[in-house]
Amino acid sequence: MNTHDLSVYRGPCAILRELNLHIPQKQWTSIVGPNGAGKSSLLQAMVGLLHYTGSINLDGVDLKSLSNKDRAKTIGWLEQNTNTHQEFEDCLTVYDTVMLGRLPHQTWLHLPTQEDHLKVEQALKQTHSWELRGRLLNQLSGGERQRVLMARLLAVDADILLMDEPLANLDPPHQADWLKQQKNLLAQGKTLVTVLHEIHFALRADHIIMLHHGGMHFQGSSQDPQTHQALIELFEGRIRLEKAGNDWVALPN
Amino acid sequence: MKKNTQPLTQAQYVWVGVVLFLLFFSLGVLASPITVVDDGGNTLNLNNPPQRVISLLPSLTESVCALGKCNTLVGTDRYSNWPKSIDSLPKLGAIGDFNIERIVQLKPDLVLLEKASPLISRLKSLGIPTLGFDIKSMEDEHRALQKLDLVFDTTQGNRVWDQIQAQIVRANKQLPTSPKNISVYFEVNPAPFAAGRSSFIGELLNRLDLMNIIPDSLGPFPKINPEFVVKAKPQVILISETNISQIKKRPGWSTIPAISQNKICTFTPQENDILVRPGPRMGEAALIISECIQKKMSSSEQ
Amino acid sequence: MTSKHFLPKFILLLAISAILLALGSFLGSAGISWNLSDASQTIVFDIRLPRSLGAFLAGALLGLAGGIAQSLFRNPLADPYLLGSASGALLGVGIMLCFTQIGSPLLETVGINGGAFIGALLGVFAALLLAGGYRSSIRLLLSGVVISVILGAANSLFTFIRPDLYQSLQSFMLGNTTLLTWNAVELMAITLTICLIITLLISPALDALALGENTALTLGLPLAQLRLTLIGVLALATGCAVAQTGLIAFVGLAAPHLVRKLSAGRQRSQLLFSGIAGGILLLGSDLLARTLFAPIEIPVGIVTAVLGGIYLLTLLKRSQMGAHS
Repeated sequence: MNTHDLSVYRGPCAILRELNLHIPQKQWTSIVGPNGAGKSSLLQAMVGLLHYTGSINLDGVDLKSLSNKDRAKTIGWLEQNTNTHQEFEDCLTVYDTVMLGRLPHQTWLHLPTQEDHLKVEQALKQTHSWELRGRLLNQLSGGERQRVLMARLLAVDADILLMDEPLANLDPPHQADWLKQQKNLLAQGKTLVTVLHEIHFALRADHIIMLHHGGMHFQGSSQDPQTHQALIELFEGRIRLEKAGNDWVALPN
Repeated sequence: MKKNTQPLTQAQYVWVGVVLFLLFFSLGVLASPITVVDDGGNTLNLNNPPQRVISLLPSLTESVCALGKCNTLVGTDRYSNWPKSIDSLPKLGAIGDFNIERIVQLKPDLVLLEKASPLISRLKSLGIPTLGFDIKSMEDEHRALQKLDLVFDTTQGNRVWDQIQAQIVRANKQLPTSPKNISVYFEVNPAPFAAGRSSFIGELLNRLDLMNIIPDSLGPFPKINPEFVVKAKPQVILISETNISQIKKRPGWSTIPAISQNKICTFTPQENDILVRPGPRMGEAALIISECIQKKMSSSEQ
Repeated sequence: MTSKHFLPKFILLLAISAILLALGSFLGSAGISWNLSDASQTIVFDIRLPRSLGAFLAGALLGLAGGIAQSLFRNPLADPYLLGSASGALLGVGIMLCFTQIGSPLLETVGINGGAFIGALLGVFAALLLAGGYRSSIRLLLSGVVISVILGAANSLFTFIRPDLYQSLQSFMLGNTTLLTWNAVELMAITLTICLIITLLISPALDALALGENTALTLGLPLAQLRLTLIGVLALATGCAVAQTGLIAFVGLAAPHLVRKLSAGRQRSQLLFSGIAGGILLLGSDLLARTLFAPIEIPVGIVTAVLGGIYLLTLLKRSQMGAHS
């Protein structure tokens, strides 16, 4: 997926200006940057929630030319789990919540098919939430809720998955599960794009894009020393990178 | 006994014919239905004068009784309270909550009510005849009495009207000849709503040669600005006794001659009923007003 | 999974409705009986039955509209009148009352009921215009409030100019089930059917709103069109109910809350049950209104307001205790 001169607007203000990004297919790209750099806005523009100028191309096809439904089937988006428990939630069960992910594939009558039920079950099992399926959404803890929302994303069965802070509220064991899940998804041939502020997780990705001041600071492979250098610059020398085993870790300086 | 077996002569044929014709003619007249057009433009057709009447407006109840047909009433609205004989009749509610079931249960052959009431179409769909009235001026009541005369086949309407007129004339005579054109203000309720010149109350005041401070342009029952009364400085204020305490508290009202000289005519609830109903007791209303004004004006020699 | 439980709940609600309807033909201010003497037959068939059925249907329309309002705006305080339909209907009635004195036959057929209906629709339309279509629920809510206030002021001005019409307007505002005819029942039945069919078809898409507006959009839903359609249904249902029974308070607000636990968050069930609950609520209130102080009838709007008030109080109490635990 490529963007060409992409400028994303929130209202009249340009959050991001003239970005030319490359997101390799079937790999995991991670977007990092300081707070307010526009990472979430970039994802939102990709799913058509924010107005933008320039173009976003998928295999040469401009995203704007896709119908709403087609785009929904191709790109899935996981919103930031801001953990504000709405007092008033028409409390759906976990199962029904994940079933919502099948909406792009359903007819206008929205009656669940055999395949829908299969995909929902798969998604719940992948995120270790199958036992939660009868519970109401607003009765879950933060971590449980995060896994259920992830399952909802998986149920869409899209080729490209955009995730905004997917590790929020997850404790280390579940973070490890999530990593495993990412590897599985890659093996299935999905393209993953995540916005993370946990740098060491970002470094586990194949590809890193750094955003700063509304523009791109650097983009490159996560193993490349140039990328590491750019990362340290991005955070103004306040971090240092060390190798721990096979992986790189970012520590405060 | 003479047996008359002679055939009838031509003259006798004619006589029989005439008698028969007169007979049928009078039968026809007697059998012709009562036809009245009410104030809402609807035509009422009855074969006979009604025997079971429901009146849903106090002034109509009083009018029916004044015409001597009180005994036909089988039900009234909640506020009808005169004459005393109707007290025992079932009370069927008031505007907004009329009790349809009870009305139907009473099996009326005529219902008298306000011409704009939504009850009219409902009763029509249930097959109950109605007569709608819109009585705002004295002439409206005169017409109502005449219509009721037609409906009940009575002739009392004009007599009642004449009696009202006589009472008004008597009331006028009661008032002192000077000062002339005493200025008055009649308050109907504390909103404040006043009685304008074109209302039946205003007409009474006019017949008593009283100067109503409310001008014609404001209509029959306008809601006015209290300031207006202060500016107009009426000599007498006419008001129900339940509202008297709060009008003295109104800002600026202490400067009104009627208040500073305590020329306030207050009416008991019974008197108030007579005053605000455009019915057969309007003559009495005139007498109540003139008695009070005469008392107030004479108590303080200006 | 939960569809297993749907049928018994549905049947239960319908059963309650049927019982109330039977009671409706039985109870009345003229006495409690089916004693079929001459006049009583008229009372039962021409007065009580259409009145009971009418009350149920009007309540169902209001309940459905209230459910739609609360689901569309994700707000527990939303009711069918929030887009200006109430003030619009009131103004429509006032204008019609003025004109009935002219005696034009066209206006006679439109009548007060027609005036209320058109007024309600125009009120919602004005709110939509002011908000510039349905792009944001906040914007629409706000413009609904603005229109209600503006039309409310127009109504006050109106009663000032024509104080003689004040009482008629007052009785319309309080709501009235006593004058319901078989005609009215027919009209409301047709409207309810149309509204229910449309709602039930498109409501599953509303389920996605539970995840937030943004996520719902990314699932490919034509949210703007869906919302416009639902607002149309809301206006139609509210207008029809208000035209026949006046402005009855609380039914639209309380009905969706009563069935929320039953529907497990699915909008199809929630909206259908809201409708039935609304019918039960209004019919129940009507039964109380006619029998509590028989033969005096309390305006049904007072009963619904008292019941609704009590219910909201218990709701508050419960959430307070929830907050402490």
